[in-house]
Amino acid sequence: MYNKHFLFFLFLFAVCQSNAQSCTFSIKGNVFDEVSETPLPYVNVFIQEMAKGTNTDEEGNFVLEHICKGEYHLIFSHIGCAEKKIHLDLERDTVINMVLSHTSTSLGTVVIEGKKENLTNHPNLSVNRQTIEDNTNQNLSGLLENETGVHLLKNGSGIAKPIVHGLFGNRLTILNNGIAQSGQQWGNDHSPEIDPFAADKIIVLKGANAVEYGGGNLGSIILVEPKPIEREPHLHGQVNYVFETNGRGHSINTRLEKYSPALAWRINGTLKKYGDRRTAAYFLNNTGIEEANLAVQLEKSWRERVFFNFYASTFNTTLGVLRGSHIGNLTDLEQALVNETPFFTEPEFSYAIDSPKQHVSHHLVKSQLKYFIDDHQIVEFVVAGQLNNRKEFDVRRSGRTDIPALSLAQYTFDSSLKYTNNFGHHWNFKLGTQNIVTDNTNNPETGILPLIPDYISWKSGLFSTLSKEYDKTHFNIGLRYDYEYQNVATISNSVPREIVRFTNQFHNISGLFAAKFNITNTQSISLNTGYAMRNPAINELYSSGLHQGVSGIEEGDVNLVTEAALKNTLEYKWLPNTDFSISALFYHQHFNNYIFLNPQEEFRLTIRGAFPVFNYEQTDANIYGLDISTQFTIKNKIFALLRYSYLKGEDIKNNIPLVFMPPNSFFGSIVYRVKNPVTFSHNIKIEETEIELNNRLVFEQKNILATQDFLPPPPTYNLTGVKISTNFIFSKYKIRGFFKADNVFNIRYRDYLNRQRYFADDIGLSMTLGVNFKF
Amino acid sequence: MKNLFLPLLLATILIFSACKKDDPVIVDEEELITTLRYTLTPATGGSAIILSFQDLDGDGGNAPTITGGTLAANQTYSGTLELLNETESPAESITEEIMEEQEEHQFFFQSTISDLTVAYNDRDANGDPLGLSSTLTTGSAASGALTIVLRHEPNKSAAGVADGNIASAGGETDIEVTFPIDVQ
Repeated sequence: MYNKHFLFFLFLFAVCQSNAQSCTFSIKGNVFDEVSETPLPYVNVFIQEMAKGTNTDEEGNFVLEHICKGEYHLIFSHIGCAEKKIHLDLERDTVINMVLSHTSTSLGTVVIEGKKENLTNHPNLSVNRQTIEDNTNQNLSGLLENETGVHLLKNGSGIAKPIVHGLFGNRLTILNNGIAQSGQQWGNDHSPEIDPFAADKIIVLKGANAVEYGGGNLGSIILVEPKPIEREPHLHGQVNYVFETNGRGHSINTRLEKYSPALAWRINGTLKKYGDRRTAAYFLNNTGIEEANLAVQLEKSWRERVFFNFYASTFNTTLGVLRGSHIGNLTDLEQALVNETPFFTEPEFSYAIDSPKQHVSHHLVKSQLKYFIDDHQIVEFVVAGQLNNRKEFDVRRSGRTDIPALSLAQYTFDSSLKYTNNFGHHWNFKLGTQNIVTDNTNNPETGILPLIPDYISWKSGLFSTLSKEYDKTHFNIGLRYDYEYQNVATISNSVPREIVRFTNQFHNISGLFAAKFNITNTQSISLNTGYAMRNPAINELYSSGLHQGVSGIEEGDVNLVTEAALKNTLEYKWLPNTDFSISALFYHQHFNNYIFLNPQEEFRLTIRGAFPVFNYEQTDANIYGLDISTQFTIKNKIFALLRYSYLKGEDIKNNIPLVFMPPNSFFGSIVYRVKNPVTFSHNIKIEETEIELNNRLVFEQKNILATQDFLPPPPTYNLTGVKISTNFIFSKYKIRGFFKADNVFNIRYRDYLNRQRYFADDIGLSMTLGVNFKF
Repeated sequence: MKNLFLPLLLATILIFSACKKDDPVIVDEEELITTLRYTLTPATGGSAIILSFQDLDGDGGNAPTITGGTLAANQTYSGTLELLNETESPAESITEEIMEEQEEHQFFFQSTISDLTVAYNDRDANGDPLGLSSTLTTGSAASGALTIVLRHEPNKSAAGVADGNIASAGGETDIEVTFPIDVQ
């Protein structure tokens, strides 16, 4: 569908002249910016098959002449923009008008099956394919780290989950391919099991909750989206390979795709292997990673009215957990806190992954059927199944190290039906229903009483949204109702052990109002208000026992009530021209009955010694902050970016700070682009060389009391990175290569949101070398 | 469209049949240590004193039962440690597990009474102390506490560890219990 639009665009602007002779054709055109609609100079236009290219002039025009009849691929690239590639069957002189979007100033239109679903009312940011490819060594969370308002909750270097505006885990929905990611999202030491390289775009919707997406989200949503398969008849693909010195890690990602009217397909595979990471001073033993992922996407359409889409993916990982962070009791923890280097630190590097470790598999199968009743009405039906298998291994006695200490299987079944109607003058109406069944089972192989009980939950939702675009104003309202039924089978804490059952029913309502006003052609204000309810999650109600990862006893509370949040965001954007933009987003979220783990004053005495006790409790809270982002281009050679995030979380009932709130941070980068290609011989040259210098400054979290944590938050740290990237052109082919160095000064630091900070430093200098080959 | 009927049917079955979660399997907590007994037999003969820590329902639930003891001043006792999992019937001996993995375990004894000392009376296969068997010596009359710690995977070659100094032992704590002691 996306290409259908594009072809339409081509026809609209194409000036056709018949010409019988070959090799005399020309391709002309104009390139402009999607947002400001101004011409874009210095855009590189490259014909892949001829290894021939040109740049647009000051008015955004380009001309390519003396081209033979035939099939070509044209690549449009520009500093700070996502690259665009089109297929062209050249039979005559052709005019192409191209739109490029600056990645960070983009107002974030998500292309889902060709119809542009407008998200302009929701403040958002997105990570494009180029960034994903250049970070093949990163996980999903790592890709978002430098974005405003996004932080990472880490457990060492390999395990990370995103935090958006202070919310994570049960409060933040991640949609993989439109399906809410299931699994053990409650665990602070559990990464989302998604391969970002199967995606083309990762979008963070930072506004109040979009009611269309279920999943108990209280605010922001992360969308991981692959793009539709390009409508082009040739086999295309790419290979990305990245080597990273720190951890001696190899990552390889391959993608193949082909379109034919009978069936369009895409296969994406990723393999990763890392050994021990290293801080500035010592190895972090047992922090290796092994990962193998595969995704298959199939698309078929019938008469441009019925679209079928099938997606299946499997994600498999083994993650080592720093051996020195696995401790027995409070005495061990106190000992670890005063140790300069963690226990079990070895002077040698190793790829071996021993206990403690996590082995997680996540499988997803999804089918989507979309039917265009007419030009205005669409019906969409989606079914999806997920299986999340998590096994965590601890160091145990008598050969039990090979038996998982936690072993959970979770099946999730999603089905949804959605009706969309575009009517009248720019009105859009949506009505939908969604069912999610979750079945969570502990495997008794562990020989340990489970922390999370077995349960089944059944959730049904109904939502409706209405939006309207006027000349200068867009608005959007939405309402959603969810019913959730939980059937839980817990095992008693006392002996003799017996099964204690609970059934719960919850009714949740969420609502949304969003509006955007274009004050002038270059300035806009977006206002977003959302109310959402989240019923207590299973872990918050029933967890009981020792959570090894945090060295504490966590006690759920069966009397917890539903938490409710009201979030307001106000965003101002100013885009005076293509060379400069600034945006500021202020947000405030008020929670009633905010559920949190409260450290208790008592210590629980067990045979293993004393343990701190954490109870799930409720309070009222506020989280507010400011995200500022600006970027500017100087003479189309230098591209600079500055981002600042401020956040504060308060427990307003007890008048104390909230724990685990991201510290304020600043990110800046400056890119210099070498404008002219360098030719080595007639068929080898390099072009689009870029040199980047970046810096991330993370301030000390001062908004916390000494009594709220075992250790005070680590001091402010500053990380500097450099990156050089270039494109090698060998006759027909283009190979992208890059070299990156992170933490170039090899500083020692610890991060407040890295739970391993009690035991070890964060990782030191790392150099990365990557190549990307597309055909 | 046809290929959607199967998933739809499955969905319906799942939704209407799966409202009650099956009974979970109550696991055999084989690894659990519920009970530690430190039996002290006076060298001069007489009845043994047993210090015991018992927590039958594991980490949660009811608080453990701790039984301290009264020792005679200026006496030597031979001490034997016994670990049990009493959730099993008959009670499972964890002492045997420790014997099997003796190189990876070590007991540490710490006393708040300055002239009450505990010396190792056994060695693992590498000749390093283990602590299942020990010799306790009392001095003058005093009151205080004796803490017994079992470390899994300690660094037995670290400084002082062979002499029973826990400070640089590392590893992780499997047992840490404290008994009130009276020396009379």
